[in-house]
Amino acid sequence: MISPLINTFITLIVPLIGTRPYLDPGSGSFILQILIATLVGSLFLIKAYWKKLRTFFKKIFSKGQDGEQE
Amino acid sequence: MSAETEANQVQTVGASFRDPSGYVFTSAGVLYRQINQVYQENYDRLIDSGLYQALVSAGMLISHQEVEIAPLDPSSCYKIIQPEPVEFISYPYEWSFSQLKDAALTTLEIQKMALAHGMTLKDSSAYNIQFHHGHPVLIDTLSFEIYQEGQPWVPYRQFCQHFLAPLSLMAYRDIRMSQLLRVYIDGVPLDLTSDLLPRKTRLVLSLNLHIHLHASSQKRYAARPVETTRKVSLFQLQGIIDSLESGVKRLQWSPSGTDWGDYYDEHNYTSAGLEDKKQIVSSFLDQMQPRYVWDLGANTGLFSRLASDRGIPTIAFDIDPGAVELNYLSSRKDNEQYILPLLSDLTNPSPAIGWENQERQSLAERGPVDAIFALALIHHLVISNNVPLNRLASFFQHLGRWLVIEFVPKSDSQVQKLLASRHDIFTDYNFESFEGVFSKYFVIHRCEEIKNSQRKLYLMEKR
Repeated sequence: MISPLINTFITLIVPLIGTRPYLDPGSGSFILQILIATLVGSLFLIKAYWKKLRTFFKKIFSKGQDGEQE
Repeated sequence: MSAETEANQVQTVGASFRDPSGYVFTSAGVLYRQINQVYQENYDRLIDSGLYQALVSAGMLISHQEVEIAPLDPSSCYKIIQPEPVEFISYPYEWSFSQLKDAALTTLEIQKMALAHGMTLKDSSAYNIQFHHGHPVLIDTLSFEIYQEGQPWVPYRQFCQHFLAPLSLMAYRDIRMSQLLRVYIDGVPLDLTSDLLPRKTRLVLSLNLHIHLHASSQKRYAARPVETTRKVSLFQLQGIIDSLESGVKRLQWSPSGTDWGDYYDEHNYTSAGLEDKKQIVSSFLDQMQPRYVWDLGANTGLFSRLASDRGIPTIAFDIDPGAVELNYLSSRKDNEQYILPLLSDLTNPSPAIGWENQERQSLAERGPVDAIFALALIHHLVISNNVPLNRLASFFQHLGRWLVIEFVPKSDSQVQKLLASRHDIFTDYNFESFEGVFSKYFVIHRCEEIKNSQRKLYLMEKR
């Protein structure tokens, strides 16, 4: 019995490369990108939100300082 | 250069044959790029999306003009463009650590801008980057394609091999590892890099993922067809680019604390002597008025700058990766546009490599130039490398019209050092023989003694 997940996996098999690149991307290099995509993608999102958060607090902090100076 | 065509003086460029999107050719000495019809949609998107203008304005892509000239192959031609000329084509194995690192970061920055405009880089070859007016710039206008959501980064392997692998080896193993790029024209193989890197690099996330794990993945899935439903979303692709960028940024190398570091052999002079040498070289420049200078054995570029500060494009070659690095960092700090420091061992200069030995030119093929500087160099070539004076004169004669050369006699302490560990077989190494041999190849216009030293500077012109 094939689980729905594997079933989907099999029925939706499509080549990774939609376009036809002249460069050989290498099977191992392609698969590695897929394997690490979630990890590096999450780190990228965390980094982006952290930057936003830092900017937000910096703004509040600088506003507070401006207020004190006024 | 190869493939002379029917059209007069038209040649396709030896390195331009892999990408079916187009190719580079020269006609009457002017460089052009043909864009093939298969690339039409991508080229139009590059222009219409504003990406071309954004990259050119940021100084990251070479500018071009569309021109109306007869194509070599009208059946495949969409357009012909004339790119802004780059003064000197250099190769990654001639770059210092920071030059390769800046080229890597520029490539990633271009990829980020491309994604923001709905496009992506389809190749990331280090050879597509050149130093133009002191900055790394992409010279291959056809490196972009329309981005399709879900598609991983095709040139990921190429980026790791061309940039991350040599940089990590230079930073963690030995700076001379950059020379592997001369052997491996498509970048350093990742399995070799993984084997050569110290174990501690497995603790660095970016190197673990993009080098060690990457090498294992290549080995495991070698030559297997890739089919999967999994896709790489845009933010995941941005994550891969960001991870590569962090990995490159954290790689550091500093020339201090290395075996080199004896920068300025010239410091065999008193300050008055050094000043006098500068003035003599400057007066030679007044007389030559060269359009282009190669300073061979330039060290950190003290004398190269006498030319480059006048707006003369000057290549400052040196054998020492530390000197080239310091020279580049200095030129970058001061935003100098006319000096390009490069690594070169004159006893074994860059050869012609690649397919049919025509993809990357030898050093000599990239000459000749108007003027050659050979300051405090001759003793290294004649005494340390046993090059006879006539072979040396012939070498310089092939490289340039004018020659500014310093003769360092045996009585000089630097030559004494070189002779300390070997038998002196150099019976003709003296002023008389030097002048006699060189005058067969050059007209000696001037000979000036350098104050407070035993050395002499000559201005010669090719016969």
